[in-house]
Amino acid sequence: MSHRHSPAPDLAEQILAGRSAVYSDRAVPGEPVEEGGCGVTGFACTVPVKGKFIYEPSKQMQNRGNGKGGGIAAAGLVPEQLGLTEEQLESHYLLQIALLDPECHAQLEKDYVLPFFDVASSVRQPHVTDYREVGLEVCPPDVHRYAVRVKPAVLAEFAKTAGLAGLELRALEDEFVWRNSYKLNDEYYASLGDKRAFVLSHSRNLLIFKCVGYAEQNVEYYQLQDFCAHVWIAHQRYPTKGRVWHPGGAHPFVGLNEALVHNGDFANYHSVSEYLKQRNIRQQFLTDTEVAAQLFDLWDRVYEYPLEYIIEALAPTTEHDFDQLPPEKQHIYRQIAATHIHASPDGPWFFIIARNKDSKLQLMGITDTSMLRPQVFALSDTGEVQIGLICSEKQAIDATLRSLAEEDKRFSPVADRYWNARGGSASDGGAFIFTIQPGANGDSGKLVLTCADKFGREVKVERGCVRCDLADDEVLDASGAGCPVETLSAEEVGERLRRGDVDGLFAEAMQMADWPAGQLRRFCHAVIAAADSPKAITAAVETLTRLHDRRYPTGDKSRATVVQVLEESLDQLFDSAPAFGEPGNRFWRRVDLGTRDRSAAPETGEEVLCIDAEGFPPEGDDCDAILLREAYQLGWRKFIVYRLRGQRFHGVGLGPATDGVRIDLYGSNGDYTASGMDGLEMHIHGNAQDQIAQIAKRGKLVIYGDVGQTFMYGAKGGEVFVLGNGAGRPLINAVGRPRVVINGTCLDFLAESFMAGDPLNGGGFVVLNGVEFDAQGGIAPLPSPYPGSNLFSLASGGAIYIRDPRGQVVEGQLNGGSFSPLTDKDWRLIRGYLEENERLFGIKVQDLLTVDGEVRAPQDVYRKVSAVKLSVLAASEAKK
Amino acid sequence: MTDWEQERVDRQVQPAPDRYRNALGKYKIDRLASCKGCGRCVEVCKYGVHIKPKGYTFTLRPQDQYCVGPDCAECADSCINQCPNHALVIRRNPTVDCMGDPRWSSDLILSTWHMAETGHTPPEHLECRRGETDGGFDKLVFSFEVEGYESRPVPAAVDPNEIDLSLDLNHRGDGRPQVHIDIPVYGGGMSFGSVSIHTILAKARAMTAWNSFTCTGEGGYHDRLRPYDDHVITQVATGLFGVREETIQRVRIVEFKYAQGAKPGLGGHLLGDKNTPPVARMREAVAGNALFSPFPFHSVYSVEDHKKHVDWIKEMNPTCLVSVKVSTPTDVDMVAVGSFYAGAHIVHLDGSYGGTGAAPDIAKKNIAMPIEYAIPKVHKFLVAEGIRDQITLIASGGIRTAYDALKAIALGADGVVIGTPEMVALGCVRCACCESGRGCPRGIATTDPELVEQMGLEWSTQRLINLQNAWREQMLDVLTRLGMKSIRELRGRSDVLCYIADDAAAGAGAAAGRAGAPVQAEEVAR
Repeated sequence: MSHRHSPAPDLAEQILAGRSAVYSDRAVPGEPVEEGGCGVTGFACTVPVKGKFIYEPSKQMQNRGNGKGGGIAAAGLVPEQLGLTEEQLESHYLLQIALLDPECHAQLEKDYVLPFFDVASSVRQPHVTDYREVGLEVCPPDVHRYAVRVKPAVLAEFAKTAGLAGLELRALEDEFVWRNSYKLNDEYYASLGDKRAFVLSHSRNLLIFKCVGYAEQNVEYYQLQDFCAHVWIAHQRYPTKGRVWHPGGAHPFVGLNEALVHNGDFANYHSVSEYLKQRNIRQQFLTDTEVAAQLFDLWDRVYEYPLEYIIEALAPTTEHDFDQLPPEKQHIYRQIAATHIHASPDGPWFFIIARNKDSKLQLMGITDTSMLRPQVFALSDTGEVQIGLICSEKQAIDATLRSLAEEDKRFSPVADRYWNARGGSASDGGAFIFTIQPGANGDSGKLVLTCADKFGREVKVERGCVRCDLADDEVLDASGAGCPVETLSAEEVGERLRRGDVDGLFAEAMQMADWPAGQLRRFCHAVIAAADSPKAITAAVETLTRLHDRRYPTGDKSRATVVQVLEESLDQLFDSAPAFGEPGNRFWRRVDLGTRDRSAAPETGEEVLCIDAEGFPPEGDDCDAILLREAYQLGWRKFIVYRLRGQRFHGVGLGPATDGVRIDLYGSNGDYTASGMDGLEMHIHGNAQDQIAQIAKRGKLVIYGDVGQTFMYGAKGGEVFVLGNGAGRPLINAVGRPRVVINGTCLDFLAESFMAGDPLNGGGFVVLNGVEFDAQGGIAPLPSPYPGSNLFSLASGGAIYIRDPRGQVVEGQLNGGSFSPLTDKDWRLIRGYLEENERLFGIKVQDLLTVDGEVRAPQDVYRKVSAVKLSVLAASEAKK
Repeated sequence: MTDWEQERVDRQVQPAPDRYRNALGKYKIDRLASCKGCGRCVEVCKYGVHIKPKGYTFTLRPQDQYCVGPDCAECADSCINQCPNHALVIRRNPTVDCMGDPRWSSDLILSTWHMAETGHTPPEHLECRRGETDGGFDKLVFSFEVEGYESRPVPAAVDPNEIDLSLDLNHRGDGRPQVHIDIPVYGGGMSFGSVSIHTILAKARAMTAWNSFTCTGEGGYHDRLRPYDDHVITQVATGLFGVREETIQRVRIVEFKYAQGAKPGLGGHLLGDKNTPPVARMREAVAGNALFSPFPFHSVYSVEDHKKHVDWIKEMNPTCLVSVKVSTPTDVDMVAVGSFYAGAHIVHLDGSYGGTGAAPDIAKKNIAMPIEYAIPKVHKFLVAEGIRDQITLIASGGIRTAYDALKAIALGADGVVIGTPEMVALGCVRCACCESGRGCPRGIATTDPELVEQMGLEWSTQRLINLQNAWREQMLDVLTRLGMKSIRELRGRSDVLCYIADDAAAGAGAAAGRAGAPVQAEEVAR
C-alpha cells in the first residue's frame, strides 16, 4: 500500500459532510445504554496463536463481567483458515455480519453486498449446534462473512457523487465500506425495535465476534479454538441492565481499521456525542464504546493524525507533566486540547485496541489521565517468539502465558517485563503500542514485535538470553536423587539445609551468572530432595524463596526463566507436603481443592499449612481465602498459599489480634489481599494487585514486586515494604500510623489526604526511594523519584521521605505539603525501616545513600515533605 | 457476630417532656396583671396548660406547648372565656412562626416534639402528616384523605392488633441469616463527630427497643455502642474513617455509603472545629483539621469494582447482610440492578430532600432526583427484571413523618431510613448550624464537651422510643383504613395514593379535602 499524504483539510471536511447521504430519519432515538465496568485483555504475538488461548485470560476475568456481553477480536489471520490467498487477505475487507434474524440474510445480501462488492468468499461461520451446550442462555447470532472489494465502477461513481475524487483509492474504498455498513446497520439495527442484523466488523485482516455471554463463549460457540491470529483482544462486559437479548452493545466495536474494547465509562457521553455530531457522525449502538471507536476512526482515518496526537486527544497531558514537555510539544498539545478537549473521554476508562494499518498489526492500551482503571502491560521475548500482553489484571497475563507455554515450549510462562502506564504523562503518555511487522534486513521476512510508548520510545527487553527452564531436560527425569551440582554436591546441599544455612546456600547460588543453564534446576532439585526435616524444609523454602524474590545478576540466562524455574521448584516443594491423613513429615500439611473437606486442626508439631489454590474460585464461600480463614480458626498460624491464579481476599476476615500469623503467597495473587489485616504478617512473593491492604490496621506486609491501584486506601497502620512501584492513589485517606517503604515510585496521587499524625511522635510516613534494579541486581535511580503531578495533596498529617538527591521533585507537585530539611530525628526514625528494607530485599542503606559513586549524608539524599496547615482544612468556613 | 453482652431496652412509652423550662407551643397564652390566681383556668383546662401547685398563690406560667388553640378557646368553657377577670389572652406564638421552613414546617417540628414527649399522635391543631411545600410527599395523599373518594372495593375490616409492621431484610436466599425488624424504619448514619455520643447512643437504644437498627455513619464505631451491636449497622463510607475489620465483623448489617442524596458527588465533610481530640482519636486523624471524605470510593469506579467491594465485606463477615446506599441519579434504576447483581441484600436510595446544615446549600435539593420519583422508577425496574422479591428496597432522604414513610412504601419501597425526625425529636429546631463552630446549640449535633451535657441519655432514648410508638400508631391507623394486614401489602400500591392538583392553597392538610380530580401517583411518578 502506498504511503498516503495528508489530504487537504477540505477533503476531510468533504468526507464528513458527505456522510449526510447515509443518514436517514429512521433511527429510533434512544438513551445511551448504561455501561458498567468490565475486564479487558489482549495480546499480540509474532506467531499466530489459536483462539483457545484468548479463552484462558477471559475466563480468568469472568468475575469482571456478568455473562451478559462478551466479545473478541482477532487480527493478523491465517489466509488458509479463511479460504483466501495471502494477497486476498491483505487486500480484501472482511465484512462480517451478525444475523440476529437469519431470515433477513437474502434481502440484506441483495441490498448491501452484491450490488457493490466483488465477493471473493462468502461463508457462514460454523458454530456448535446447541448454544446451551456451551452454557449460553441467549442464542448468539448466525455470523456470515464476506471477503470483498468494492467494484471499481461503484467506487468511481462514489468518488464522483461524494466529491471525493481527490482521495487516495484505498481511503476512498475505506470510506465507502464505512458508509455502506452504516446504512446496513441503520436499516437492520438502529431503526428497529426488534433488531435483525448488524455489521460486526468490516476491516481488513481483522474479525470481531460477540455474544450475550462471556467472551470465551464466543470461542466455544463459533468453534474458534484452533482459529489462529497474531493479535487477539477480548472483553468481558458487565452491563448493569439485566436482560439482554442480543450482543449489539457488546465490545469490541469496530472503527474501520481497528477493533476497540473498553473498561470503564464516560461521564461526558453526551459531550462526546455532541462533538461527533458537529462532525456529522451519528451513533447507532448508543454505548460509550461506540463513540470511542468513532473518535479513533475520525482522528486516524479522516484527520490522519499520527497516533501520538490521537492518544493526546483522548488522554490529555496535564499539570506537572505538561510542564515537563518540550516547548514545541506543548505548543502542539495545546492546539490539540483546544480543538478536541470536548471529545476527551472524562471518567475512568481504559482502551485496548487492535488494528491493522499500513500492513502493520498493532495492539495498544491507552489509559485515562487520572488512571482510574487498572491495567498491566507485559512483554516476553524468548528468542523464538515475542509476545506483548495487556490486561486489566496481571493474573490474566499470567494465565495466558501459562496456557501458551503448556502447549508450546517456545513460550515462557513468565514475561520479561511487567509494567503499568501513567495516563496523560510526560514520561510514557499513558499508552503502549505493540507493533508486529516484518523485521528489518537480516531477519529474512520474519515478523518482529516492538513495543513503544506514546512518544515512540521503545520498551526493550534483553534479547537472546538462554532459557534455563528448557535446558537439560534430563534433570527433570532424575528420580529425585538429584544430579550433582557442579560446585556443590547434592549431599552438601542437604547437609547445609539441615544446618539451616540459608545464607550459605544463597551465597552459593549468587554464582548463578557463571552457572550453565541447567544447573539452576539441578540445584533446586537437590534442595527439594534434601528437605526432609522441619529445619531442612524451612531452610529449603527460605532459600528458594529468597532466590525467587531477590534481584541479582543471572549472566546469560533470562531472568524470566530463572523466576519460572524457581516458581516451579517452589510448587514442587510445597507439593511434597503430605495431605491430611497421609503419612509423611508432619511439620506441614497440604490441602487443595479436592481435599479441602479433610482439613483439620493442627496436631502437635504441625506448623505450616500449604494451600494449593489451583482451581479455587476467586471469591465467594468456596474460595481458598475462606479455607484459610477456617484453618486459622482451627488453630493454624502459618500458611503458604501457592499456585494462585488470581484468587482474592487472602488475609481478610481473620479479625483483630492476629499477631503471630504469617501468610506467604506464591503465584498470581488477587485483589484485596490483606485488606483489613490487623496484626498478621504477610509476604507476597511477586507483584501484588489492586486494593491491597485497604484499612490495614496493624501488622507487616512485604511485597516482593509492584503493587496495584489504591494500595492502603484508608489504612490505619501497618509496616509495609514494597520492592517495586505503587500504581495510582496509594495510601489515599490513610490515617493513624502506617509506615511504608516503597523502593520504586508511584504513578500519582501518593498519600492524598494523608492524616497520619506526627511521624516523629508515633504517626505514619512513606519512604519513597525512587530506584529500580539494573541488570546486575544493583540499584539505579529512576528518571524522576516521583513523576506524578500530585504528591501529598491536602494532607494534614504524616510525612513523605523522598530520596531525591538532585532535587527533582518541585513545589508544584505538592498541592499543599511543604519541603523541610531532614533532621537527625527523622533519619533515626526511617533508618530502622531502611535497615529492615535491606534485610528483606537486599537493598543496602549504604547504596541508597550513595550518589554518583560517593556516600553522602542522609540530609543530602532524602528530603522530607510534611503537612502544612491549610486554610481549606482549618477551622470554620466563614459563616454564610 | 458480636461477642459483647447485649443490652435490652424496654419499648415502653413514658412521658418525656421538653428539656427546656419554657417549651414552645403553637399558641401563646398571656396572663395579664388582672389575674387574681383564682385557679378557675386550672379547673377548666383539659390539656394541662394551667398548673397551680399546692400552696402557690398564682398559677405557673402557662404551659403553651399543650394548648390546642382557638378551637378550644372559642368554646364557652375555655380558660379564656371562663376567666372571671378576663386575664387570659391567646395568640399565635410569633416565635413558632419564625421556626421551620416549608419542608419542615413549624407544625411538623411541634408535632414531632409532641410525639416524642407523649408517644402518641398529637391533637389536630398540629399537622403531623405533611409539610407545606408544593412538591414531594406534600403533594401526595392517601385516597381516604380525599373528600368524597370512595374506595372500590371497600377495604375489609382489619383488627389493628393483627397488623404486622415487620420486615425481613434478606430476600436473596443466599444462606446468610435472616434479619428481621419490627418496624419498617431504621436510623440513618450519623458519625461521631457530626453528632454527640448521647445522640448516637439514644438512636441505638431506641432502635434496640424497637428491634430495628441504627447506623454508625462514617466516623467509626464508638466503644459505647458495643452493647447494641446487634442493632448497629457499620457504615463503610468513602473516607473509611474508623472502619476496621472488627467493626465489620461484629454487626449484622454493613452499609456501603456511595453517596448521600443531599449532596451527591460530595463525600462526608467534618469541619475543623468539630474535629475535636476525641473525634480525631476515633478516626485516627489529626485534630482540628477538616476531614473530607472523597467521592467516590477510590477503589470503586465501576460495577465490577463494586462487586469486588461487596465480596470483600462478605469475606470479612460471612454472616452479615450488605446494604448499598446510593443517591438518586437519573439512572438510579441501573444502579439498583447493578447492586443486586453485585450481591447486595439491601439497596438504599437516598433522595434529595434530606441533609442537615452540613450539606452545602448548592447541593441540597438541587442535584439528585426527588425520592418520590426514584422509588417507583427503581421498584418498577426491579419488578420488570424479575428480581424485586430478592432484594430489599429502602428509601430515605426527606422522610419526616409516618405518612411520608407510608407513602414511600406505597410507591414501592420496603421500608425507610430516617435521620432528621430523630434529631427533631431530640429538640432540634432546624437552625442549620450543625456544622460550624462548636456545633449544635441544643447539644445534639456537637461533640463540644459542654454542649453535649445539655441532653441526658435516658431522656433522649425515651424521646425516640416515643416517636416510633406514635409513628407505629399512625401506620396501624392507615393500614386499617386501607384494609391491609401487613405493611408488606402496601409496597408498590401507588393506587392508594392521590396527587393533589396544583392549588394556591395546596400543601396544607385542608387541601387534601379540596383535591380536584385525583391523579394517581403512579402516573406522576413515571
